[in-house]
Amino acid sequence: MFLPGRELAEKVSGLYGEIYYSDLGPFDPLAYVSALYEVASSFSADIAVFPCTGKGRVLAGLFSAKNSRSTATDVYRVESKENSLVVRRLVYGGKAEANLELNLPATLCLLQGSYAEAEANLTSRINEVSKQNQSCRVEFIPKKVEGIEPDKAEVVVVGGRGIKTKEDLKMIMELAGLLKGAWSVTRPLAVDEGWSETWIGITGLTVSPKLYIGIGVSGQPHHMMGARSSKIVVAINSDRNAPIFEECDYGIVGDLYVVVPEMIKRLKNVK
Amino acid sequence: MRIIVALKPTYDVSQLKFDSEGVPLLDTCPVTLGEADKCALEEALKVKESLGATVVAVTVGQSEAHIKGIKDALAMGADEGYIIKIKNAWNISSITVANAIARFAVVTGPYDIVFTGSGAGDTHSSIIGPMVSALLGYRLVANADKVEVKEQKAKAKCTMEDGTYNYEVQFPAVITVTSEANEPRIPTLKAILRSKNMQVKEIGPEQLDLSVEEYKDIKVIKHMVERKRVIMEASDQKSAEESVIKLLTFLKDEGVI
Repeated sequence: MFLPGRELAEKVSGLYGEIYYSDLGPFDPLAYVSALYEVASSFSADIAVFPCTGKGRVLAGLFSAKNSRSTATDVYRVESKENSLVVRRLVYGGKAEANLELNLPATLCLLQGSYAEAEANLTSRINEVSKQNQSCRVEFIPKKVEGIEPDKAEVVVVGGRGIKTKEDLKMIMELAGLLKGAWSVTRPLAVDEGWSETWIGITGLTVSPKLYIGIGVSGQPHHMMGARSSKIVVAINSDRNAPIFEECDYGIVGDLYVVVPEMIKRLKNVK
Repeated sequence: MRIIVALKPTYDVSQLKFDSEGVPLLDTCPVTLGEADKCALEEALKVKESLGATVVAVTVGQSEAHIKGIKDALAMGADEGYIIKIKNAWNISSITVANAIARFAVVTGPYDIVFTGSGAGDTHSSIIGPMVSALLGYRLVANADKVEVKEQKAKAKCTMEDGTYNYEVQFPAVITVTSEANEPRIPTLKAILRSKNMQVKEIGPEQLDLSVEEYKDIKVIKHMVERKRVIMEASDQKSAEESVIKLLTFLKDEGVI
Protein backbone atom coordinates (compact mmCIF):
# COMPACT_ATOMS: atom_id res chain seq x y z
CA MET A 1 0.00 0.00 0.00
CA PHE A 2 1.28 3.45 -0.88
CA LEU A 3 -0.08 6.69 0.59
CA PRO A 4 1.02 10.29 0.11
CA GLY A 5 1.66 11.13 3.76
CA ARG A 6 2.65 9.59 7.11
CA GLU A 7 -0.69 10.35 8.77
CA LEU A 8 -2.61 8.58 6.01
CA ALA A 9 -0.27 5.61 6.22
CA GLU A 10 -0.84 5.25 9.96
CA LYS A 11 -4.61 5.21 9.44
CA VAL A 12 -4.43 1.96 7.45
CA SER A 13 -1.96 0.27 9.78
CA GLY A 14 -3.09 -3.32 10.35
CA LEU A 15 -4.74 -3.66 6.95
CA TYR A 16 -1.54 -4.16 4.94
CA GLY A 17 1.74 -5.93 5.63
CA GLU A 18 3.90 -3.33 3.94
CA ILE A 19 2.85 0.30 3.90
CA TYR A 20 4.84 2.98 2.08
CA TYR A 21 4.40 6.71 2.31
CA SER A 22 6.04 9.87 1.17
CA ASP A 23 5.19 13.35 2.42
CA LEU A 24 4.37 14.66 -1.01
CA GLY A 25 2.15 17.66 -0.35
CA PRO A 26 -0.63 18.69 -2.75
CA PHE A 27 -1.22 16.52 -5.82
CA ASP A 28 1.66 16.86 -8.28
CA PRO A 29 1.05 13.91 -10.66
CA LEU A 30 4.66 13.34 -11.70
CA ALA A 31 6.09 13.64 -8.18
CA TYR A 32 3.46 11.20 -6.89
CA VAL A 33 4.08 8.66 -9.61
CA SER A 34 7.85 8.80 -9.26
CA ALA A 35 7.41 7.86 -5.59
CA LEU A 36 5.23 4.98 -6.78
CA TYR A 37 7.89 3.86 -9.29
CA GLU A 38 10.35 3.80 -6.44
CA VAL A 39 8.08 1.56 -4.35
CA ALA A 40 7.31 -0.72 -7.32
CA SER A 41 10.98 -1.08 -8.24
CA SER A 42 11.63 -2.85 -4.93
CA PHE A 43 9.36 -5.77 -5.84
CA SER A 44 7.56 -6.91 -8.98
CA ALA A 45 3.85 -6.30 -8.57
CA ASP A 46 1.62 -8.33 -10.88
CA ILE A 47 -1.39 -6.19 -10.14
CA ALA A 48 -1.52 -2.49 -9.30
CA VAL A 49 -4.84 -1.19 -7.98
CA PHE A 50 -5.92 2.44 -7.87
CA PRO A 51 -9.22 4.00 -6.80
CA CYS A 52 -11.54 5.09 -9.60
CA THR A 53 -11.25 8.78 -8.69
CA GLY A 54 -9.86 11.74 -10.62
CA LYS A 55 -6.42 11.37 -9.06
CA GLY A 56 -6.53 7.55 -9.10
CA ARG A 57 -7.11 7.51 -12.86
CA VAL A 58 -4.28 9.99 -13.48
CA LEU A 59 -1.82 7.92 -11.44
CA ALA A 60 -2.99 4.64 -13.00
CA GLY A 61 -2.33 6.06 -16.48
CA LEU A 62 1.10 7.43 -15.59
CA PHE A 63 2.13 4.33 -13.68
CA SER A 64 1.05 1.75 -16.22
CA ALA A 65 2.50 3.53 -19.27
CA LYS A 66 5.97 3.38 -17.73
CA ASN A 67 6.11 -0.42 -17.96
CA SER A 68 3.41 -1.03 -20.56
CA ARG A 69 0.90 -2.62 -18.24
CA SER A 70 -2.54 -3.68 -19.45
CA THR A 71 -4.99 -1.29 -17.85
CA ALA A 72 -8.71 -1.13 -17.19
CA THR A 73 -10.70 1.49 -15.30
CA ASP A 74 -14.25 1.40 -13.89
CA VAL A 75 -13.70 -2.21 -12.85
CA TYR A 76 -16.13 -3.81 -10.43
CA ARG A 77 -15.34 -7.55 -10.65
CA VAL A 78 -12.01 -9.30 -10.96
CA GLU A 79 -11.31 -12.96 -11.53
CA SER A 80 -7.77 -14.17 -11.57
CA LYS A 81 -6.32 -16.73 -13.99
CA GLU A 82 -2.80 -18.07 -14.20
CA ASN A 83 -1.25 -15.31 -16.33
CA SER A 84 -4.14 -12.95 -16.71
CA LEU A 85 -7.10 -11.27 -15.06
CA VAL A 86 -10.65 -11.39 -16.34
CA VAL A 87 -12.28 -8.13 -15.36
CA ARG A 88 -15.74 -6.74 -15.69
CA ARG A 89 -15.90 -2.98 -16.21
CA LEU A 90 -18.61 -0.41 -16.92
CA VAL A 91 -18.62 1.28 -20.33
CA TYR A 92 -20.89 3.67 -22.24
CA GLY A 93 -21.56 5.82 -19.21
CA GLY A 94 -22.42 2.78 -17.11
CA LYS A 95 -25.19 1.65 -19.43
CA ALA A 96 -23.22 -1.42 -20.49
CA GLU A 97 -20.60 -3.73 -19.05
CA ALA A 98 -17.62 -5.26 -20.81
CA ASN A 99 -15.77 -8.44 -19.96
CA LEU A 100 -12.13 -8.35 -20.87
CA GLU A 101 -9.00 -10.31 -20.25
CA LEU A 102 -5.87 -8.42 -19.21
CA ASN A 103 -2.41 -9.93 -19.39
CA LEU A 104 -0.24 -9.56 -16.31
CA PRO A 105 1.24 -7.26 -15.15
CA ALA A 106 -1.98 -5.24 -15.04
CA THR A 107 -3.29 -1.99 -13.59
CA LEU A 108 -6.87 -1.61 -12.39
CA CYS A 109 -8.99 1.32 -11.25
CA LEU A 110 -11.57 -0.20 -8.96
CA LEU A 111 -14.99 1.41 -8.56
CA GLN A 112 -15.89 2.47 -5.07
CA GLY A 113 -18.38 0.11 -3.46
CA SER A 114 -17.49 -2.89 -5.69
CA TYR A 115 -16.08 -4.82 -2.77
CA ALA A 116 -16.63 -4.64 0.96
CA GLU A 117 -14.00 -2.73 2.88
CA ALA A 118 -11.16 -4.95 4.03
CA GLU A 119 -10.85 -5.96 7.65
CA ALA A 120 -7.58 -7.35 8.86
CA ASN A 121 -5.27 -7.28 11.82
CA LEU A 122 -1.81 -7.57 10.32
CA THR A 123 1.49 -6.48 11.66
CA SER A 124 2.30 -3.52 9.42
CA ARG A 125 5.68 -2.19 8.50
CA ILE A 126 5.57 1.48 7.63
CA ASN A 127 8.34 2.56 5.26
CA GLU A 128 9.21 6.05 4.14
CA VAL A 129 9.93 6.83 0.48
CA SER A 130 12.06 9.92 -0.06
CA LYS A 131 10.41 13.13 -1.20
CA GLN A 132 10.36 13.54 -4.98
CA ASN A 133 11.14 16.56 -7.19
CA GLN A 134 8.18 18.81 -7.94
CA SER A 135 7.19 18.89 -11.63
CA CYS A 136 5.06 22.02 -11.38
CA ARG A 137 3.83 24.75 -9.07
CA VAL A 138 0.72 23.72 -7.17
CA GLU A 139 -1.73 25.71 -5.12
CA PHE A 140 -4.42 23.63 -3.43
CA ILE A 141 -7.78 24.91 -2.20
CA PRO A 142 -9.58 22.12 -0.29
CA LYS A 143 -13.29 21.90 -1.00
CA LYS A 144 -15.61 23.26 1.63
CA VAL A 145 -17.76 20.55 3.08
CA GLU A 146 -21.17 21.66 4.26
CA GLY A 147 -22.55 18.96 6.52
CA ILE A 148 -21.82 15.31 5.84
CA GLU A 149 -19.70 14.40 2.80
CA PRO A 150 -21.85 12.57 0.22
CA ASP A 151 -19.28 9.85 -0.42
CA LYS A 152 -19.22 8.98 3.27
CA ALA A 153 -22.97 9.21 3.98
CA GLU A 154 -25.49 6.38 4.36
CA VAL A 155 -28.25 8.49 2.81
CA VAL A 156 -27.69 10.84 -0.13
CA VAL A 157 -30.38 13.21 -1.41
CA VAL A 158 -29.60 14.64 -4.85
CA GLY A 159 -31.23 17.58 -6.61
CA GLY A 160 -31.33 17.64 -10.41
CA ARG A 161 -32.52 19.96 -13.17
CA GLY A 162 -36.08 19.81 -11.87
CA ILE A 163 -34.98 22.17 -9.06
CA LYS A 164 -35.80 25.66 -10.28
CA THR A 165 -33.79 28.00 -8.02
CA LYS A 166 -30.88 27.88 -5.62
CA GLU A 167 -33.30 28.80 -2.84
CA ASP A 168 -35.24 25.59 -3.55
CA LEU A 169 -32.11 23.55 -2.77
CA LYS A 170 -32.87 24.24 0.92
CA MET A 171 -35.67 21.73 0.57
CA ILE A 172 -33.13 19.10 -0.54
CA MET A 173 -30.86 20.01 2.37
CA GLU A 174 -33.75 19.84 4.84
CA LEU A 175 -34.78 16.40 3.62
CA ALA A 176 -31.16 15.20 3.80
CA GLY A 177 -30.91 16.57 7.33
CA LEU A 178 -34.06 14.77 8.47
CA LEU A 179 -32.68 11.49 7.07
CA LYS A 180 -29.28 12.16 8.73
CA GLY A 181 -27.72 12.11 5.30
CA ALA A 182 -25.83 14.29 2.86
CA TRP A 183 -27.12 16.34 -0.05
CA SER A 184 -25.63 16.87 -3.46
CA VAL A 185 -26.61 17.83 -7.00
CA THR A 186 -26.14 16.74 -10.61
CA ARG A 187 -23.43 18.32 -12.74
CA PRO A 188 -25.51 21.04 -14.45
CA LEU A 189 -26.54 22.46 -11.06
CA ALA A 190 -22.93 22.55 -9.89
CA VAL A 191 -21.12 23.57 -13.06
CA ASP A 192 -23.65 25.58 -15.06
CA GLU A 193 -25.53 27.14 -12.14
CA GLY A 194 -22.70 27.17 -9.60
CA TRP A 195 -24.99 26.09 -6.76
CA SER A 196 -22.56 23.54 -5.32
CA GLU A 197 -18.83 22.86 -5.43
CA THR A 198 -19.26 19.13 -6.00
CA TRP A 199 -21.67 16.89 -7.81
CA ILE A 200 -22.44 13.20 -8.22
CA GLY A 201 -21.41 11.58 -11.48
CA ILE A 202 -18.62 10.28 -13.61
CA THR A 203 -16.63 13.52 -13.48
CA GLY A 204 -17.57 14.21 -9.86
CA LEU A 205 -18.16 12.07 -6.81
CA THR A 206 -19.08 8.39 -6.76
CA VAL A 207 -21.38 7.42 -3.91
CA SER A 208 -22.58 4.07 -2.64
CA PRO A 209 -25.04 4.85 0.16
CA LYS A 210 -27.76 2.62 1.56
CA LEU A 211 -30.33 5.07 0.22
CA TYR A 212 -30.08 7.40 -2.77
CA ILE A 213 -32.98 9.80 -3.45
CA GLY A 214 -32.91 11.59 -6.81
CA ILE A 215 -35.21 14.63 -6.86
CA GLY A 216 -35.86 16.16 -10.26
CA VAL A 217 -33.00 13.99 -11.53
CA SER A 218 -33.62 12.58 -15.01
CA GLY A 219 -31.00 9.82 -14.69
CA GLN A 220 -28.51 10.57 -17.49
CA PRO A 221 -25.86 7.82 -17.70
CA HIS A 222 -23.00 10.12 -16.64
CA HIS A 223 -24.83 10.93 -13.42
CA MET A 224 -26.09 7.43 -12.66
CA MET A 225 -22.56 6.07 -13.07
CA GLY A 226 -21.75 7.89 -9.82
CA ALA A 227 -24.74 6.50 -7.94
CA ARG A 228 -25.27 3.06 -9.39
CA SER A 229 -23.89 1.08 -6.48
CA SER A 230 -26.42 2.59 -4.06
CA LYS A 231 -28.40 -0.09 -2.24
CA ILE A 232 -31.84 1.48 -2.69
CA VAL A 233 -32.57 4.08 -5.37
CA VAL A 234 -35.61 6.37 -5.05
CA ALA A 235 -36.70 8.71 -7.84
CA ILE A 236 -39.07 11.67 -7.67
CA ASN A 237 -39.70 13.24 -11.05
CA SER A 238 -42.64 14.70 -12.96
CA ASP A 239 -41.56 13.09 -16.24
CA ARG A 240 -42.80 9.53 -16.37
CA ASN A 241 -40.35 8.76 -19.20
CA ALA A 242 -37.25 9.92 -17.30
CA PRO A 243 -34.60 7.17 -17.54
CA ILE A 244 -34.17 7.13 -13.75
CA PHE A 245 -37.52 5.32 -13.39
CA GLU A 246 -35.94 2.40 -15.30
CA GLU A 247 -33.35 1.93 -12.61
CA CYS A 248 -35.00 2.89 -9.35
CA ASP A 249 -36.44 0.71 -6.59
CA TYR A 250 -39.18 3.16 -5.69
CA GLY A 251 -40.39 6.02 -7.80
CA ILE A 252 -42.98 8.75 -7.45
CA VAL A 253 -44.19 10.35 -10.67
CA GLY A 254 -45.24 13.82 -9.62
CA ASP A 255 -44.34 17.43 -8.95
CA LEU A 256 -41.32 17.52 -6.65
CA TYR A 257 -42.63 20.80 -5.20
CA VAL A 258 -45.62 18.87 -3.87
CA VAL A 259 -43.98 15.53 -3.05
CA VAL A 260 -40.85 16.74 -1.23
CA PRO A 261 -42.64 19.11 1.20
CA GLU A 262 -45.03 16.24 1.95
CA MET A 263 -42.07 13.96 2.73
CA ILE A 264 -40.53 16.61 4.97
CA LYS A 265 -43.85 17.08 6.79
CA ARG A 266 -44.28 13.32 7.40
CA LEU A 267 -40.70 12.85 8.58
CA LYS A 268 -41.03 15.78 11.00
CA ASN A 269 -44.26 14.34 12.41
CA VAL A 270 -42.55 11.04 13.14
CA LYS A 271 -39.92 12.76 15.25
CA MET B 1 4.33 27.01 -30.86
CA ARG B 2 3.35 23.52 -32.03
CA ILE B 3 0.35 21.79 -30.55
CA ILE B 4 -1.16 18.31 -30.94
CA VAL B 5 -4.81 17.74 -30.17
CA ALA B 6 -5.60 14.05 -29.70
CA LEU B 7 -9.25 13.31 -30.50
CA LYS B 8 -11.54 10.30 -30.28
CA PRO B 9 -14.90 9.93 -31.98
CA THR B 10 -17.25 8.18 -29.56
CA TYR B 11 -20.75 6.82 -29.40
CA ASP B 12 -23.29 9.28 -28.03
CA VAL B 13 -24.13 7.11 -25.01
CA SER B 14 -27.24 9.10 -24.10
CA GLN B 15 -28.77 7.78 -27.35
CA LEU B 16 -27.51 4.20 -27.01
CA LYS B 17 -30.20 1.49 -27.17
CA PHE B 18 -30.05 -2.28 -26.63
CA ASP B 19 -31.85 -5.22 -28.22
CA SER B 20 -33.92 -7.68 -26.19
CA GLU B 21 -30.80 -9.77 -25.45
CA GLY B 22 -29.02 -6.73 -24.02
CA VAL B 23 -26.67 -6.32 -26.98
CA PRO B 24 -25.87 -2.64 -27.64
CA LEU B 25 -27.23 -1.39 -30.98
CA LEU B 26 -24.05 0.42 -31.96
CA ASP B 27 -24.91 0.63 -35.67
CA THR B 28 -27.81 2.96 -34.99
CA CYS B 29 -26.03 5.03 -32.34
CA PRO B 30 -24.66 8.38 -33.51
CA VAL B 31 -20.86 8.83 -33.32
CA THR B 32 -19.30 12.24 -32.75
CA LEU B 33 -16.18 13.77 -31.24
CA GLY B 34 -16.40 13.67 -27.46
CA GLU B 35 -17.45 16.88 -25.71
CA ALA B 36 -14.19 17.16 -23.71
CA ASP B 37 -12.12 16.51 -26.85
CA LYS B 38 -13.84 19.40 -28.60
CA CYS B 39 -13.03 21.61 -25.62
CA ALA B 40 -9.38 20.48 -25.88
CA LEU B 41 -9.35 21.54 -29.54
CA GLU B 42 -10.96 24.86 -28.64
CA GLU B 43 -8.16 25.54 -26.11
CA ALA B 44 -5.56 24.83 -28.82
CA LEU B 45 -7.33 27.18 -31.25
CA LYS B 46 -7.41 29.89 -28.58
CA VAL B 47 -3.62 29.58 -28.26
CA LYS B 48 -3.29 29.74 -32.05
CA GLU B 49 -5.24 33.02 -32.05
CA SER B 50 -3.52 34.64 -29.07
CA LEU B 51 0.13 33.51 -29.40
CA GLY B 52 0.31 31.90 -32.83
CA ALA B 53 0.56 28.12 -33.13
CA THR B 54 0.32 25.24 -35.54
CA VAL B 55 -2.48 22.96 -34.41
CA VAL B 56 -2.27 19.32 -35.50
CA ALA B 57 -5.36 17.15 -34.90
CA VAL B 58 -4.85 13.39 -34.68
CA THR B 59 -7.03 10.37 -34.00
CA VAL B 60 -6.28 6.65 -33.68
CA GLY B 61 -8.46 4.65 -36.08
CA GLN B 62 -9.44 4.58 -39.73
CA SER B 63 -13.24 4.25 -39.77
CA GLU B 64 -15.57 6.76 -41.42
CA ALA B 65 -16.22 8.24 -37.96
CA HIS B 66 -12.50 8.82 -37.44
CA ILE B 67 -12.11 10.56 -40.81
CA LYS B 68 -15.22 12.63 -40.11
CA GLY B 69 -13.86 13.59 -36.66
CA ILE B 70 -10.65 14.93 -38.18
CA LYS B 71 -12.61 16.79 -40.89
CA ASP B 72 -14.68 18.41 -38.13
CA ALA B 73 -11.46 19.44 -36.37
CA LEU B 74 -10.14 20.98 -39.61
CA ALA B 75 -13.43 22.84 -40.03
CA MET B 76 -13.10 24.21 -36.50
CA GLY B 77 -9.64 25.53 -37.37
CA ALA B 78 -6.94 22.87 -36.97
CA ASP B 79 -4.06 23.37 -39.44
CA GLU B 80 -3.36 19.72 -40.13
CA GLY B 81 -5.29 16.51 -39.54
CA TYR B 82 -4.08 12.92 -39.29
CA ILE B 83 -5.59 9.51 -38.81
CA ILE B 84 -3.35 6.78 -37.47
CA LYS B 85 -4.48 3.78 -39.52
CA ILE B 86 -5.37 1.02 -37.09
CA LYS B 87 -8.17 -1.43 -37.76
CA ASN B 88 -10.74 -2.23 -35.06
CA ALA B 89 -9.77 0.91 -33.20
CA TRP B 90 -12.67 0.37 -30.75
CA ASN B 91 -11.04 -2.83 -29.49
CA ILE B 92 -7.42 -1.86 -29.00
CA SER B 93 -5.90 -1.42 -25.56
CA SER B 94 -5.45 2.03 -24.02
CA ILE B 95 -1.68 1.60 -23.94
CA THR B 96 -1.75 1.03 -27.73
CA VAL B 97 -3.70 4.27 -28.21
CA ALA B 98 -1.31 6.17 -25.93
CA ASN B 99 1.73 4.69 -27.67
CA ALA B 100 0.31 5.64 -31.07
CA ILE B 101 -0.15 9.28 -30.00
CA ALA B 102 3.24 9.44 -28.28
CA ARG B 103 5.07 7.91 -31.27
CA PHE B 104 3.18 10.27 -33.58
CA ALA B 105 4.38 13.20 -31.46
CA VAL B 106 7.97 11.98 -31.70
CA VAL B 107 7.86 11.36 -35.46
CA THR B 108 6.09 14.61 -36.43
CA GLY B 109 7.34 16.74 -33.51
CA PRO B 110 8.72 18.40 -31.51
CA TYR B 111 5.63 19.86 -29.83
CA ASP B 112 5.08 22.21 -26.92
CA ILE B 113 1.65 21.01 -25.86
CA VAL B 114 -0.48 17.89 -26.30
CA PHE B 115 -4.11 18.74 -25.57
CA THR B 116 -6.72 16.04 -25.17
CA GLY B 117 -10.11 15.61 -23.53
CA SER B 118 -10.07 14.62 -19.86
CA GLY B 119 -12.16 11.59 -20.76
CA ALA B 120 -13.72 10.06 -23.85
CA GLY B 121 -17.49 10.21 -24.22
CA ASP B 122 -17.95 6.43 -24.17
CA THR B 123 -15.46 4.78 -21.81
CA HIS B 124 -14.37 7.84 -19.85
CA SER B 125 -11.26 6.09 -18.55
CA SER B 126 -9.32 9.37 -18.37
CA ILE B 127 -5.98 7.57 -18.65
CA ILE B 128 -4.79 8.32 -22.20
CA GLY B 129 -3.48 11.83 -21.40
CA PRO B 130 -1.48 10.64 -18.35
CA MET B 131 -0.12 7.69 -20.35
CA VAL B 132 1.03 9.95 -23.18
CA SER B 133 2.71 12.22 -20.61
CA ALA B 134 4.63 9.28 -19.12
CA LEU B 135 5.63 7.93 -22.55
CA LEU B 136 6.90 11.28 -23.83
CA GLY B 137 8.35 12.47 -20.53
CA TYR B 138 6.20 15.62 -20.78
CA ARG B 139 4.78 17.34 -17.71
CA LEU B 140 1.12 16.75 -16.98
CA VAL B 141 -1.94 18.77 -16.04
CA ALA B 142 -5.06 16.62 -15.79
CA ASN B 143 -8.74 17.61 -15.73
CA ALA B 144 -8.30 21.32 -16.43
CA ASP B 145 -11.52 23.35 -16.11
CA LYS B 146 -9.67 26.53 -17.07
CA VAL B 147 -6.48 26.93 -19.06
CA GLU B 148 -4.29 29.99 -19.64
CA VAL B 149 -1.34 29.49 -21.99
CA LYS B 150 1.67 31.82 -22.05
CA GLU B 151 4.87 31.60 -24.13
CA GLN B 152 6.70 28.95 -22.14
CA LYS B 153 4.18 27.78 -19.59
CA ALA B 154 0.52 27.24 -18.82
CA LYS B 155 -1.63 27.90 -15.81
CA ALA B 156 -4.62 25.65 -15.19
CA LYS B 157 -7.38 25.23 -12.66
CA CYS B 158 -8.34 21.62 -12.03
CA THR B 159 -11.16 20.25 -9.91
CA MET B 160 -10.45 16.94 -8.21
CA GLU B 161 -12.40 14.95 -5.64
CA ASP B 162 -10.86 16.81 -2.69
CA GLY B 163 -10.80 20.35 -4.01
CA THR B 164 -9.33 22.73 -6.56
CA TYR B 165 -5.73 22.67 -7.75
CA ASN B 166 -4.11 25.62 -9.49
CA TYR B 167 -1.11 24.44 -11.49
CA GLU B 168 1.63 26.19 -13.34
CA VAL B 169 3.71 23.99 -15.67
CA GLN B 170 6.53 24.53 -18.11
CA PHE B 171 6.34 23.08 -21.63
CA PRO B 172 6.43 20.51 -23.08
CA ALA B 173 3.27 19.39 -21.33
CA VAL B 174 0.21 17.22 -21.78
CA ILE B 175 -2.94 19.07 -20.73
CA THR B 176 -6.24 17.22 -20.44
CA VAL B 177 -9.29 19.45 -20.63
CA THR B 178 -12.78 18.88 -19.19
CA SER B 179 -16.03 19.70 -20.94
CA GLU B 180 -16.44 22.62 -18.51
CA ALA B 181 -13.39 24.46 -19.87
CA ASN B 182 -15.08 26.40 -22.67
CA GLU B 183 -17.81 26.48 -25.31
CA PRO B 184 -16.28 24.89 -28.41
CA ARG B 185 -16.84 27.02 -31.51
CA ILE B 186 -19.27 25.93 -34.20
CA PRO B 187 -17.56 26.14 -37.59
CA THR B 188 -18.95 28.63 -40.07
CA LEU B 189 -20.22 27.41 -43.43
CA LYS B 190 -17.19 29.06 -45.04
CA ALA B 191 -14.84 27.15 -42.73
CA ILE B 192 -16.61 23.88 -43.47
CA LEU B 193 -16.28 24.46 -47.22
CA ARG B 194 -12.63 25.42 -46.86
CA SER B 195 -11.90 22.30 -44.80
CA LYS B 196 -13.41 20.12 -47.54
CA ASN B 197 -10.30 20.83 -49.62
CA MET B 198 -7.95 20.05 -46.77
CA GLN B 199 -6.35 16.64 -46.71
CA VAL B 200 -6.86 14.13 -43.91
CA LYS B 201 -3.35 12.67 -43.81
CA GLU B 202 -2.78 9.01 -43.06
CA ILE B 203 0.01 7.44 -41.09
CA GLY B 204 0.41 3.68 -40.61
CA PRO B 205 1.47 1.81 -37.47
CA GLU B 206 4.64 0.66 -39.26
CA GLN B 207 5.69 4.31 -39.80
CA LEU B 208 5.38 4.77 -36.05
CA ASP B 209 7.07 1.48 -35.17
CA LEU B 210 3.95 0.58 -33.23
CA SER B 211 2.82 -2.83 -32.05
CA VAL B 212 -0.94 -3.09 -31.74
CA GLU B 213 -2.49 -4.91 -28.80
CA GLU B 214 -6.07 -5.86 -29.55
CA TYR B 215 -8.49 -7.23 -26.97
CA LYS B 216 -9.93 -10.56 -28.06
CA ASP B 217 -13.51 -11.56 -27.33
CA ILE B 218 -14.68 -8.46 -25.55
CA LYS B 219 -18.25 -9.10 -24.56
CA VAL B 220 -20.34 -5.98 -24.10
CA ILE B 221 -23.89 -6.28 -22.80
CA LYS B 222 -26.40 -4.05 -21.09
CA HIS B 223 -25.49 -3.46 -17.46
CA MET B 224 -28.49 -4.60 -15.47
CA VAL B 225 -28.86 -3.62 -11.86
CA GLU B 226 -31.65 -5.50 -10.18
CA ARG B 227 -34.11 -2.82 -9.16
CA LYS B 228 -37.65 -3.24 -7.88
CA ARG B 229 -39.16 -0.46 -10.00
CA VAL B 230 -42.19 0.18 -7.82
CA ILE B 231 -43.66 3.32 -9.38
CA MET B 232 -46.31 5.38 -7.60
CA GLU B 233 -48.37 8.28 -8.91
CA ALA B 234 -48.70 11.73 -7.37
CA SER B 235 -50.90 13.64 -9.77
CA ASP B 236 -52.55 15.76 -7.05
CA GLN B 237 -52.15 16.60 -3.35
CA LYS B 238 -54.12 13.56 -2.19
CA SER B 239 -52.26 11.00 -4.29
CA ALA B 240 -48.97 12.71 -3.33
CA GLU B 241 -49.80 12.19 0.36
CA GLU B 242 -50.66 8.54 -0.23
CA SER B 243 -47.55 7.89 -2.30
CA VAL B 244 -45.28 9.53 0.28
CA ILE B 245 -46.79 7.40 3.09
CA LYS B 246 -46.27 4.27 0.99
CA LEU B 247 -42.72 5.28 0.08
CA LEU B 248 -41.71 5.94 3.69
CA THR B 249 -43.18 2.56 4.73
CA PHE B 250 -41.20 0.80 1.98
CA LEU B 251 -38.00 2.54 3.05
CA LYS B 252 -38.56 1.60 6.72
CA ASP B 253 -39.14 -2.03 5.70
CA GLU B 254 -35.91 -1.94 3.71
CA GLY B 255 -34.16 -0.71 6.85
CA VAL B 256 -32.66 2.31 5.12
CA ILE B 257 -34.39 5.05 7.16
